[in-house]
Amino acid sequence: VTPRRELLFSTAVIVLFAFGPWISPLLHLDVSIVSGVLVIAIAVMSVNLLLGYTGLPAFGNAAYFGLGSYGAALSVTYFHAHFIEALVIGTLAGLLGGLILAPFLLRRRGIYFGLLSIAFGQVFYFIAYRYTDVTGGEDGMHVPRPDLGLGTHVVISEHAMYYTALALFVVVLIAFRTIVRSPFGRTLIAIRQNEARVRYLGLNTDRFIFVALLISSTMAGLSGALFGLLINFAYPLELDWHQSGYFVLSMILGGAGTVWGSLVGAVIYVIGNDIISTITPLWQIFLGALFVACVLGFPRGILGSILAARRPTATYSDDDTNAAFDVNAPVEVGRGI
Amino acid sequence: VIEHIGPQLFNGLVLGAFYAIVALGLSLIMNLTGTINMAHGSFMTLAGYLAYSMVLRKVPFGWALIIAPLIAVVVGIVVERTLVRPLYKREPFYSLLMTFGLSLIAEEVFRLIWGPNGVPFSPPEALGGAASLGFMQFPTFRIFIVLVLVIAIAALALFLTKTRFGLRLRAAVQDTEMIAALGTNTQVLYAVNFSLGIFLAGIAGVLAGGMLGLAPTSGNALLMPAFVTVIIGGMGSLFGSIVGGVLVGIAISMTTLFIPAASEVSMYVLMAIVLLVRPRGLFGEEGIFG
Repeated sequence: VTPRRELLFSTAVIVLFAFGPWISPLLHLDVSIVSGVLVIAIAVMSVNLLLGYTGLPAFGNAAYFGLGSYGAALSVTYFHAHFIEALVIGTLAGLLGGLILAPFLLRRRGIYFGLLSIAFGQVFYFIAYRYTDVTGGEDGMHVPRPDLGLGTHVVISEHAMYYTALALFVVVLIAFRTIVRSPFGRTLIAIRQNEARVRYLGLNTDRFIFVALLISSTMAGLSGALFGLLINFAYPLELDWHQSGYFVLSMILGGAGTVWGSLVGAVIYVIGNDIISTITPLWQIFLGALFVACVLGFPRGILGSILAARRPTATYSDDDTNAAFDVNAPVEVGRGI
Repeated sequence: VIEHIGPQLFNGLVLGAFYAIVALGLSLIMNLTGTINMAHGSFMTLAGYLAYSMVLRKVPFGWALIIAPLIAVVVGIVVERTLVRPLYKREPFYSLLMTFGLSLIAEEVFRLIWGPNGVPFSPPEALGGAASLGFMQFPTFRIFIVLVLVIAIAALALFLTKTRFGLRLRAAVQDTEMIAALGTNTQVLYAVNFSLGIFLAGIAGVLAGGMLGLAPTSGNALLMPAFVTVIIGGMGSLFGSIVGGVLVGIAISMTTLFIPAASEVSMYVLMAIVLLVRPRGLFGEEGIFG
């Protein structure tokens, strides 16, 4: 994909989303659902950075997501934080979670990293679940939407919430793209392909993974804080490893290792969740089947498959970071996941 | 509180035996094929519900304890041959994701068949009541549980160390290609190994159903402690799973006694401490699974 086309495509998508409040009623969707898509896409991107690019099975990002949500909720409930303050506190809560878990997670790679992410993430789930006096326990906590802050008393409407989500999504997307195209991001991809070689080149891979982990947890925290303020609610299942699994599924579904894949995955997951769960109570079976089908037959995801089909030859070019998820990819692609 | 320490310690041992046997099944499957079986809890729940339905139809509990896990094994083999096998050549995280999907499906299916709420599944009367162990009274069923689980673990150990098949299994864990080159059908090994894990899970599922009750999510509730058990014991080590299970069980029962609110978190704290001191886990080998 040429830079020109990419810019054109990106602008088109963002313009399309800018008309979201007018388009969504035509599709019988609530605006808040589309806001949810944008918010969840940020969380999916946080998984993408770790799993799609760095090759670390990030099955614990719901912990940072939930910390963001609770960070925002608690600051509003107990300290009467304004919207912007709550957002910042929630994001920092996600970062803090990453800082706490990093020393443990950094020690392992591969599937061991995944198991540790799941297990340590559950700690936060049980804290939220058990610390009923403060967090409301299993019932979660209601968060009345605060006003904007900055000395004003602007109440955030559903539309304003949507554009806040869109603006933050665009900012995160640009930052994400910049990161994965930077030398730092290239190093992350190299770590996925062959960490030992990166070490031989004299780079401290632990340090790179540490930074990637912090970026990822901050993004997840931001997403969680936005989500909590969007649905005016924080609940323990946001922190549960099932939620992490949904993020990973969305990432694979959209296209791991692609910049826009996270949004595609989030669109399908959030809107599918909304539509199918109102039609049938068996949504969970569909979701499970989606997991199975995606892993077995569609590991490149939607965007990954489209991009692969558009390539002129069967060769795997350097910028095809999604190729690692192709079952038939040659060894040279370096699938050190 | 002091007089409760003895019984709580015993309860911790019972819990630990559960965690150990679930963790053993997980480890067996993980060591040979690198598959993280997130659906392990679903197989437990399946066996539990099957046993419940059998006992309702007047099948003796003892038979249900054997037959239900065997049916779960049949389901397990079908799943392994059709869905898990294609993933052996791929990165382990795919099998994690796939089996996670399976567990979601299973949970909903259990809800459809046996209802969304828990069902009471009480052990047979012969195992009800309490037995005196000289110094203290213990519920008979829990003693029975420990006995069965210990026998199952011993049988597994004997199978792995004393039979030709067990020998091949252990050899395959070390070097699958070599054992295949020497003329062993590794696909059979994979299937049998998976079944072994599921069978252990099935027994644990039936017994856990009798002790903790049955609900669509009850197996998954035991899955996370089992993962922690594997991590504490060390990935790659079966012996570690047993020790880890007992440690986690006792940690949970003791914190339940002294700080009830921290009962779930305690095992994660234990895990964190173990990992700080020994990143590979207590009996894990360096280099296995990263």
